[in-house]
Amino acid sequence: MAIGRLKRVAYIAALIFGTLLWLTVLLLFSQVAQNSEEFARLQPWILLINIVGIAVLLLLIIGNFFHLIRDYRRHVPGARLKARMMIMLVVLTVSPLLIVYTFAVQFINRGIDSWFDVDVAQGLDNALELSQTAIDLQMIEHLRELEAMAQQLAASGRADIVGELGDLRRSTEALELTIYGANNQILATSSMNPEAAVPGSARDDLIFQLRQGDAQDCCVTLEPPQSDRGYEIFAAVNMISSVPAAEVRVLQGRFGVDPRISELANLVQDSVGQYSELSYLRNALKYSFTLTLSLVLLITMLAAVYGAFFSARRLVVPIQQLMAGTRAVARGDFETVLPLPARDEIGFLVNSFNDMTQRLSRAREDAHQSQQDVESERKKLEIILARLSTGVVSLEPDLRIRTANQAAGAILGVDLDTHLGESLVDLAASRPLLSQFLTVARSHLDRSDHEWREQIVLRGDVGRRVLMCACTALSGDDEDLGGYVIVFDDITALLQAQRDAAWGEVARRLAHEIKNPLTPIQLSAERLRRRYLHDDLEDTELLDRSTHTIIQQVEAMKDMVNAFSEYARAPDIDISRFDLNELIREVAELYLHREPPLALTLDLDPGLPAVEADPGRIRQLLHNLIRNALEAMEHQRDERLAIATRYRDGRQADVVEITVADNGPGFAAEIVDQIFDPYVTSKRKGTGLGLAIVKKLVEEHGGQISAQNAERGGAVISILLPISGEAGDSPAHTAGRPDKRRQHA
Amino acid sequence: MYVAVATLVELCRRSPSAPVIILMLCALCLVASPARAQEEDPGRFEVRSASVELDEGIYYLNAWLEYRLSSGAREALESGVPLTIEIEVEFLRSRRFWLDAAEASLLQAYELQYHALSERYLVLNSNVGEQNSFANLFSALNFLGRVNALPLIDEALLEAGESYQIRLRTSLSTEDFPGPLRLLTFWRRDWSLRSEWYEWPLGD
Repeated sequence: MAIGRLKRVAYIAALIFGTLLWLTVLLLFSQVAQNSEEFARLQPWILLINIVGIAVLLLLIIGNFFHLIRDYRRHVPGARLKARMMIMLVVLTVSPLLIVYTFAVQFINRGIDSWFDVDVAQGLDNALELSQTAIDLQMIEHLRELEAMAQQLAASGRADIVGELGDLRRSTEALELTIYGANNQILATSSMNPEAAVPGSARDDLIFQLRQGDAQDCCVTLEPPQSDRGYEIFAAVNMISSVPAAEVRVLQGRFGVDPRISELANLVQDSVGQYSELSYLRNALKYSFTLTLSLVLLITMLAAVYGAFFSARRLVVPIQQLMAGTRAVARGDFETVLPLPARDEIGFLVNSFNDMTQRLSRAREDAHQSQQDVESERKKLEIILARLSTGVVSLEPDLRIRTANQAAGAILGVDLDTHLGESLVDLAASRPLLSQFLTVARSHLDRSDHEWREQIVLRGDVGRRVLMCACTALSGDDEDLGGYVIVFDDITALLQAQRDAAWGEVARRLAHEIKNPLTPIQLSAERLRRRYLHDDLEDTELLDRSTHTIIQQVEAMKDMVNAFSEYARAPDIDISRFDLNELIREVAELYLHREPPLALTLDLDPGLPAVEADPGRIRQLLHNLIRNALEAMEHQRDERLAIATRYRDGRQADVVEITVADNGPGFAAEIVDQIFDPYVTSKRKGTGLGLAIVKKLVEEHGGQISAQNAERGGAVISILLPISGEAGDSPAHTAGRPDKRRQHA
Repeated sequence: MYVAVATLVELCRRSPSAPVIILMLCALCLVASPARAQEEDPGRFEVRSASVELDEGIYYLNAWLEYRLSSGAREALESGVPLTIEIEVEFLRSRRFWLDAAEASLLQAYELQYHALSERYLVLNSNVGEQNSFANLFSALNFLGRVNALPLIDEALLEAGESYQIRLRTSLSTEDFPGPLRLLTFWRRDWSLRSEWYEWPLGD
């Protein structure tokens, strides 16, 4: 800021100094016509300063000009405006200057010429001629006088030539008389003041002229006035000697011109001299004036042009800055702050612009902030949705998937995340679960029933799956349908748990209620036997048979009730680490030595790690399964049973898979879904609790069980047991593990 | 010349504004050199010979100078403008490793003037105030060209044993010209009449 101000002050100072210097120079320059001594001294400097000034201005202008042209060609914003302003300013300033200049030059030239047009020259010439004529008359008079003297001298034969010469001089107006002999030798002289300048030599040319001239023997000349003397006339004549072949003598006389005539002639001479000098200098004067004017014009013009550049730039720069600022704002840069040029209208505009950008910037920051807030909210929601065990799918109105969370994919058996944007209809084509789901959904949506809630049963390879489904329509723009959100829960496990709990309760009560009267019945029957069997009654046999039947049936009923209550009972689990393969072998050993012998194959995974579980329950589980299989194959000749273990590296925990497969008749198709429910059995005999207990045991270990019919006949029951003994997978958890479910299939 | 023209053409081709600038420059040149003269006698000042003689402890200059006025100068003279012709004489002391020092210098000025009434040319020795008149310019210039025994310097003013160079030149002084003419002579070459330095060692 300080530097900028200093620069501006320096600039103004330079401008003022330059202008003052230039004006001084111009003033001095105008002295050219006045012939001053000052000017003579300063002239080269004045010219130099002018030329330097012109050169500097020219350089500045050329620099600016090329700059402008470059900007113009590159379409720099504001260049066109600047160029137009430049042209306008230059035309406005330069054209009047040129007009004034042209008129001034013509005026000066014609004015100067007109001064000399007056007949002064002729008058002066005439005056000069008059003066010359006047003096000429005197000259001729003095010449005649001298000729007479020469004749007189020649005629007299006086030996005292000097004395005679002095007499002659005194008798006339001659200032000096001299007689020259051959070789310009002074023979005699007589002067008014003898100390005066040595005569003769000064007028050599006169004598020379006389001697050269053949025709004339006299000549006269006028000597211009010197410091202390006026005009003088020098005349010379040949002295004709009476003696032939005598040496030629010349008589030279010096005469003064009449003082009045001399004075006037001098004045005329001065005037003529001055006028002819002035007349001669006319052209030079015109030239000087023209040059002065031209220099003034040139400098003024260049200064005007530079001024035009300067003012155009001053006007255009804020506009350029405004344009650049506007472009920056258009690009989204709101940080632009323009410098305030001045307190004028453009300054006001710039101020408004700055105000606007500030407001825009603030508004954008606010918008950005709220966008970030929304984004973070959305992310939180996404995380919640992802962690949710409930499946959430949002669909476009044309049933394309917009979003889907993990749980939705797990429940429907499709990885929906990878199919975002695809139509649910296309996806469902090859996926039975999804297809059933879609059929129900479309049955509502096709009826324009956008808000519905229904329990859906999906049937897949693994078994039944019950979904609780709710759909809501999303409102889009302009009251249009924006899509749907379908929320669904896999409530299969929940239903199962409810059912299991109900059965447990039933079993407990039933056992209690049934067991209570059984003991009195049995005791009563035994008492009847003891009392009446020894009496030889005719009905002894009947009694024996009946009581035996009662006791036997009661016993059987007790067993049944015990088994039932065992199913409902939930004793503490005793977990320890053991070798599962070893346990299976021990159990299998028990069934190998029976009649008829069982074809039991063991396919045990040697890499199976030790399992954390309750070995007693696992043993019971195995017994139940084997017994169940044996019962199923009871009337079969070829009984075959296969038990296999596999180590599975699961996603959430390592599991062991136990498969028990027989070659019996398999499960009836209609009960395969409920095979693990109590009293569901396809056998004529049996409590119907075997598999229910097995399932209960498995679930106590946090495992899973599934049953299905093998392709080549027979039933296959597979159990997944986690290797680490953490029990109790919640149903929700199970829903989140689609891979395990698939392994069942 | 060709290069200059080629450069100008190239400049014009590149930038349409160049002709304007060139035109402006040309205008400046035109203003700066008005009426660059029809064929005229440029005139000539020359020192033909010069010598110095010592007489009774004073050095006297004898020189033969040739003066021929340029047409402009003659015209000015005949129009009544007095011309000042100067003879400069300098005594230089030779110095080793340095420029020669000017020990003494003498400026002899003559004023040449045309007297219209008597139609004679006057030569005024400005230093002495002596005036001579001549019937024609030739005689006047001839008179100026013969420098006889012009006293220069007292021998005592020069250091004995030092070697001196004398140099001489003559020129037409424009300093006393009337203003407008002086401005003109600033640009015009035929007004700057000046002989080369005529230099010779003292004592030869």
